Amino acid sequence: MNTLLVLDKDSKTKLSEDLKAKVVRTLEEKGHCVEVVELGKNDVSPCLGCLLCLTKHPGECVTKDIVNEIRKNVKKYSATFYLTPLLFGHFSSTIANVIAKGTGSHNWQVMIGFGEDINDEEKSTFIDLTAKHRGKADIIHPGLNSQVDVFVSRSIEDNTIICETLKTHAG
Amino acid sequence: MLDEDKKIICFVNGSLRGKRASSLEFLNDVELRLLDTEYNKTFLTVKAKLKKSYPENMLKSIACADAIVFVFPLHNYGLPGALMRLLEDYYQYIEAGNKYNKDAKVYMVVNCGFPRPETNEEAIRVMKNFSRRLSLNWRFAICIGTGPVVVMTKKVPFFDLKLKRAYAEMVSDIKSDSREKRDNYLIKPLIPAPILIMIKNYYERKGQMIQRNHKPQQTKE
Repeated sequence: MNTLLVLDKDSKTKLSEDLKAKVVRTLEEKGHCVEVVELGKNDVSPCLGCLLCLTKHPGECVTKDIVNEIRKNVKKYSATFYLTPLLFGHFSSTIANVIAKGTGSHNWQVMIGFGEDINDEEKSTFIDLTAKHRGKADIIHPGLNSQVDVFVSRSIEDNTIICETLKTHAG
Repeated sequence: MLDEDKKIICFVNGSLRGKRASSLEFLNDVELRLLDTEYNKTFLTVKAKLKKSYPENMLKSIACADAIVFVFPLHNYGLPGALMRLLEDYYQYIEAGNKYNKDAKVYMVVNCGFPRPETNEEAIRVMKNFSRRLSLNWRFAICIGTGPVVVMTKKVPFFDLKLKRAYAEMVSDIKSDSREKRDNYLIKPLIPAPILIMIKNYYERKGQMIQRNHKPQQTKE
């Protein structure tokens, strides 16, 4: 089973590195072959909103960057994990750009937001932003999926709890 | 040169679609209602490519504003990546100790591709969280369903009165010193949602859109 793990390399912290290590270890223990892609702010160009990925050539972005390469092989992944720092309850601009370009595998998506000073409202905003609309939209954007699991980590202990939960899902 | 007696209004266009952007139309609608003789206006547009981060003069324009009006399209139920980058850079700029106007009022005009303006709810919450983090004075949002359709119909006389009222309220709130809590404005398109959904279904049948992989959702209108 191939799994893609995308993370924001500009916001590495002790918490994010621990989270990455634990998630990779958990998935590998469950027999996943994990491919880690670390992306920075200048690696992914933002969505222009041209809608050509929905109309002229579904799923393909007009701006060519590393995400386009990932997108070409997206079918080989049975799951996609995103590790993103949370700011104002939103995923980072890098991860926002990656999602907008449709890297999501259409099998299983997992979003994990992290940050030591996330307050409850920001946590709740992120969960709703990520999970509430999945499968309910009028148009399914190539970056979205009807199946998504969302987690928020504010501490090393949260990382452990998240990975325990993942064990039951990733089997 | 800025006239120091005038309030400074900073307009942030969060769309990368240039002149074709619905957001630009909405931004112009608000801007035209604020007279040049009464306000100093600055205009910022998000960028697709940056060398390192947003230039300091852009961040400074936001920092010294008395009112900030964010106008943007909804992307994946949240903020466009380019606008999120601007907020990240601005937050870092302030965290680095640069001065800013803590009393600045924050407004937003957000438009989405879906008929229900309520779809913009999470984007509002993100902007509220941004305002709270920086102790800014969050005011209210104008949420527009199916932005391009509203742009097409907004010049029809006697229609879209709610949108015009919302603009007028925004302008009057910018003028006033009120800190009273305000409700958001929800603007539905004039064309009924079932017709918009029929148009979408037509394109889906033609195979030009990504097919949904589940049963159609009933639109609550």
